Amino acid sequence: MSKEIKGYRQQPGKLPFAKPGSGGSEPFSKLRDLDMIPESEGGKRPQPKGKNRHDHLLTGSSVGRRTPLVDSNWKVTGQAKYGDDIRIPNELIGRILRSPHHYAKIRSIDTSEAEAIPGVLAIETGQQHTDLFGVLPVTKDEHAMAVDKVRHVGDLVACVAAEDEATALEALRKIKVDYEILKPIHNMKKSLDDVDEPIHDRGKYHIGQSNVQKRVFQEFGNFDDMKNPHASSKEKWKFAGVNHGFTEPHAVVANWEPSGRLTLYTPQQVPHYVHRSLADVLKIPMHQINVHRTFVGGGFGGKSDPFPHEMCAAILARKTGRPVRITFDRDEVFYTNRGRHPSHIEMNIHVDDNARICGIETDALIDGGAFASFGHVTTYYNGVLHTAPYEIGSFHYTGARVWTNKPASGAMRGHGAVNSRCAVELGIDDICTQLEVDPISFRLANLLPPHSSTITGFRITSIGMRECLERVREACDWEQKFRKLPLGHGIGIGCGFFISGSGLPIHWDPNKFPHATVHLKIDMDGGVTIHTGAADIGQGSDTVVAQSVSEVLGVPIEMIRVKSRDSDTSPVDLGSYSSRVTFMNANAAISAAIEIREELLKATAEICNVGKETLVIGDRRIYQKKDPAVGVSYLEALHKAQEDRGALVSSGSYRTPPMGGVHKGAAAGLAPAYSFSAYAAEVKVDPETGITKVIKVWAAHDCGRALNPLSVEGQIIGSCHMGLGQVLTEEMKYGRNGSLLNPNLLDYKIPTVHEMPEVVPIIVESNDPEGPFGAKEAGEGPLLPILPAVCNAVYDAIGIRTNELPITPDKLYKQIERKMKVLDIKSPLDLPNPTLNHSELQKALDERANEHKIRDSERKLNTEREPYYNGTLFGKISTIPPEEQDENWTLSVTPSDEYLANPRLAGSAWKHQEVRHMNKGDDA
Amino acid sequence: MSGMSNTPHVPMIPTGEKTSWNAIINSRNFDNINIDSNAILLDVLRDSTGMLGVKRGCDLGTCGCCAVLIDGVPKLSCLTLAAETKGKEITTVEGLADGAHLHPIQKTFSECGGSQCGFCTPGFLVVISALLNENNNPNDKEIKDAIEGNLCRCTGYQQIIESVHAAANILNSNEGVEDNTIAKVDPHPGIDRVQE
Repeated sequence: MSKEIKGYRQQPGKLPFAKPGSGGSEPFSKLRDLDMIPESEGGKRPQPKGKNRHDHLLTGSSVGRRTPLVDSNWKVTGQAKYGDDIRIPNELIGRILRSPHHYAKIRSIDTSEAEAIPGVLAIETGQQHTDLFGVLPVTKDEHAMAVDKVRHVGDLVACVAAEDEATALEALRKIKVDYEILKPIHNMKKSLDDVDEPIHDRGKYHIGQSNVQKRVFQEFGNFDDMKNPHASSKEKWKFAGVNHGFTEPHAVVANWEPSGRLTLYTPQQVPHYVHRSLADVLKIPMHQINVHRTFVGGGFGGKSDPFPHEMCAAILARKTGRPVRITFDRDEVFYTNRGRHPSHIEMNIHVDDNARICGIETDALIDGGAFASFGHVTTYYNGVLHTAPYEIGSFHYTGARVWTNKPASGAMRGHGAVNSRCAVELGIDDICTQLEVDPISFRLANLLPPHSSTITGFRITSIGMRECLERVREACDWEQKFRKLPLGHGIGIGCGFFISGSGLPIHWDPNKFPHATVHLKIDMDGGVTIHTGAADIGQGSDTVVAQSVSEVLGVPIEMIRVKSRDSDTSPVDLGSYSSRVTFMNANAAISAAIEIREELLKATAEICNVGKETLVIGDRRIYQKKDPAVGVSYLEALHKAQEDRGALVSSGSYRTPPMGGVHKGAAAGLAPAYSFSAYAAEVKVDPETGITKVIKVWAAHDCGRALNPLSVEGQIIGSCHMGLGQVLTEEMKYGRNGSLLNPNLLDYKIPTVHEMPEVVPIIVESNDPEGPFGAKEAGEGPLLPILPAVCNAVYDAIGIRTNELPITPDKLYKQIERKMKVLDIKSPLDLPNPTLNHSELQKALDERANEHKIRDSERKLNTEREPYYNGTLFGKISTIPPEEQDENWTLSVTPSDEYLANPRLAGSAWKHQEVRHMNKGDDA
Repeated sequence: MSGMSNTPHVPMIPTGEKTSWNAIINSRNFDNINIDSNAILLDVLRDSTGMLGVKRGCDLGTCGCCAVLIDGVPKLSCLTLAAETKGKEITTVEGLADGAHLHPIQKTFSECGGSQCGFCTPGFLVVISALLNENNNPNDKEIKDAIEGNLCRCTGYQQIIESVHAAANILNSNEGVEDNTIAKVDPHPGIDRVQE
């Protein structure tokens, strides 16, 4: 304290350095909470899953504590500003003219009458804005408004800015559009064929003359193993499309500021892609645009595309020189859609006589609607995301995404994985019924171990699947219930597997730029400002980032403020999709906080004249571990560190490690970690009406480490709600002529509180070695298992296996009637109730599961472990990739002529040739 | 085009006559608000009185985001004509807190995870505040019946129900909710010297 400062002289009566505004509400700092510090660091927290690379950073402050969302007080007081709550003085109201036709060419648009209405300030059409944009750089196919043709009912034709809403609507009515109606396609199977006028023209990359947007073919394995299976399950599935059903309709405000820069206020999950698209469409550089993410009233994947209406608002505001606000009606939300793809999925699963899954053959035809959106990725995800958690002998996937004249499908919670996962889990249940074994035992005996490689080359690190299954089995009293409940009452199991962040940043080379970056700034007041571009859409990403920094620096979360709204001040971030935010952003935040932590430790060491390595960080105090009396407060250390330079700033980033195979499409589904989950659902089905009611759900999810258990539980329960909607009631209904019948929340049936069963969330912590403090995702994966768990429970209740979602009473009762006819039963109450008498295989499975359990825990704790490749269960050498040890191993991403002679449904998309290959004169 | 000037202009949404409207919103008098006689209460609250906490989710009375209390009774403002509420007392989410003291249900919604994205929250809060006004110890069934008109897409309702129970506990304990503006954390505390 008596340091001499040369050149300046303290003024008499002034303190050397005033401590800024100490609130004084809490005069004592707490010692570290040893219950939250791992044993390896001298604390009491047990580490059954081994150590983590972030263990030494734990201060016991925030991580693992139930933490209210840092922005929740805005929400509960009505102060949170969502899209439509941004009101800029002098604003205009924008409205969009939408196509009434499924498919038509625009011959001409006459706006003169509309423009004459007093109060109408601007009308724009697609002709002046022909630049393409889209969420994926490889499939940009959207315009601000239709340029030459409209592709679905609700497609954008023109937009109007007027003084008020009534005037804007009136103007829409006066715009005269001359359409030449084309023959629409609504049946996705028909989109596989050549037509005169495909919905899009992709030039030399167009697939024949068809409406196939993307096709995937993958063969991995030795298909000899599969030729004579011991048992097989074959099912043809039909999944209806579902919508995200977020409560906030899309809304956007565009304002060109006096500096000539655009600020776009939008509830977006992925502001950065909007930023890029705006630059393309408006033809201005990105630095001239600030994208402000408002509060987001629910996203679930539905607010992650750059949208045409966002372009329209910017265009109208530019033309009028006034701010423009566009807010959707609910039906416009449905016509914008981007929900889960309606799908036809054919799922064949084969097992050998040791009850090993020797083959999975999947064929998925998915209905993309009128635009590409995320569909390129969805097409892959429908296949590759069921190559785990089970060890499989061979894998054959054919997928195709086609255009139809419907609102575009896109990404929705559980992107691409949900439907095919449901089909897999029902197939396994069916096989277990055939083999007369318990489905949980079957799964436990077929799991991949930790630190293994899947058949397509995904790198599995932590895996809590086994614990999920075991804990669910115990919690729901499985042994007493499964196949033992009376008719109409059943229990079922389902599992899930999902990516925790997409391994490939879509827009840039992952070797060059990081996936996520976080900046920290700490000024003299001691408060920590976090700048991140991660989009908090209600899932709590701001909170998780704040917790991570709070944990490392040992400051309470109240001292942390997160600035994540403006692209002007946030580092570039890819946004909230593919369950990447906790994994990538918290990791980036930790690495930024480590820099500050080092500064604080260095300063303390200097002040106290002790070794830096002897210090620990506690609650707002840095002190010697062996003698807590020796140390300084956080603020003192901070001010020491700030000497000669003012505020401390740091930057941290996260980048995925190199991984994955080299085949075409190898990057799809690659992730730095994967989440796992297992749910049991108990249902009651009334055999006389077909009404299904879910009574209770036990939901175990492996999120690595629950940084905020309150949020993890909220995500699990919320996922159950959304999944229950898809399995029981929700459906985008299209009539015979292809019109959407239920674009409103009355006819689109989201479960209310009365339909919601009790959910028992079970958090499983597998401690991921690369996750932030061991964490993985918890936002999307928890949705997957609820669908199959309910379907399997319905089978347990009445012995009927569904192959069509949602399971509405009318559909289920038809199946009941059919079964009564086959069995010649008079009353549905006499339906046979499924029973289970364990076959001899059961014992073998239990033994194998026990062996694997030991194997898994050894692999988890042994840091010198050898590689483990999928195929080991089938007798292959575990340390060598199967393709290198099996001569008959096939790894193919294009179909053979033999396959094409008799392709499956989606596989038939490969009958076409790409235009660029046709031109070479090859025979088709 | 030629007949344009001859055809009388019939707008799609006929505007009603202008009328003067007044109400007591969140204990504040709003007098002489100039509205269309056919205006919807939701629009008036959002556009003319600045109560942006009232949310528009569906416009059809299906989501409950726009719920407000009219003379203490929960109503959907998107299905209510403003004229019907002339002179009445209206409570929106902005009116639930007592100065810097949050209403117990606001506090517990935060703490129990009742609010994720938060868009449906204002509707839930006013409906639940009305419930708690009548019944300070509601059971699960009573809570579910009260919020059956509100859709939430994030939480699955479970943590909302827990929030209501927690709020009832606060109400029954007479503890109240602390002032939200007091100093929360001292960045420069002393230390108690207990051995770790």
